[in-house]
Amino acid sequence: MSPRLARLLTRLYPRLWQERYGDEFEALLLDGRGGPGTLANVICSALCEHLTPTQGGDMNRDPNSFSAILKHPSAFLPLAMSVAALAVIGVAATYSIFHYGHGLVREPDEGTAAHLWQLLMAGQLPVLAFFAIKWLPRAPRPTLCVLVLQAGGVLAAMAPVYFLHL
Amino acid sequence: MRSTRNVVTAENDGNPGHFSDPPLLVLASLASGPKHGHAMIEDIVNICGTRLGPGTLYGAIARLEQQGWIEPLAPEERRRPYRITADGLRVLRAKLTTLQQFTKAGWKRLEAL
Repeated sequence: MSPRLARLLTRLYPRLWQERYGDEFEALLLDGRGGPGTLANVICSALCEHLTPTQGGDMNRDPNSFSAILKHPSAFLPLAMSVAALAVIGVAATYSIFHYGHGLVREPDEGTAAHLWQLLMAGQLPVLAFFAIKWLPRAPRPTLCVLVLQAGGVLAAMAPVYFLHL
Repeated sequence: MRSTRNVVTAENDGNPGHFSDPPLLVLASLASGPKHGHAMIEDIVNICGTRLGPGTLYGAIARLEQQGWIEPLAPEERRRPYRITADGLRVLRAKLTTLQQFTKAGWKRLEAL
């Protein structure tokens, strides 16, 4: 197989895979015959590698990276709860507009939506604390980024309550 | 483990007897000593007549390495040899034992026909 084609085929693979196996794979392709069967085989395998990337070996992503940390339940749950709290306000406002002809107003009886919002906001505090205690010592920088994101979520959920004086 | 559907090149098509379990073939090949990719392909052809495509071979190598059943050695120029680990040998023995039982049972049934 020509060096150019071998390089091109190797580039079909994900970047991390290329970093780990690229050199030796290219050398293997150069040793081979490179017929249509080989081309099809490499293209299919590269596609599989994109769909189900190989983990492990030297290709492991840094477990303390921002994206890896964000995948932990204690990182994404508070965000999900903030989004849910925001959605509760949205649903309550929409319901109020359609049934009473006006948006949300402050009432002495807070109602189900308000209680749900309070539960969601208060419920994420222990999760946030657990996340900060667990991850800040291990990976301060990405953990701070996730905490900023979570704080943004909390502020976004609190904004309508503050601005609409609910 | 990755699907073993497209595991051989076109030249194996039409051969009803070809065996195609790339991870097992790689483990069996490395059982006779460390080898790099091209040597593995040729060795596997000698073992059972199956010629693995380069993509299939490296798919199997990556997953076997991930499972700790093979390990890379220092590269020789651009070629990197691999060797089977103790865990890999244990897995190979277990798989071959299962295959042996399966083969025995299959032959018995064929003989009874």
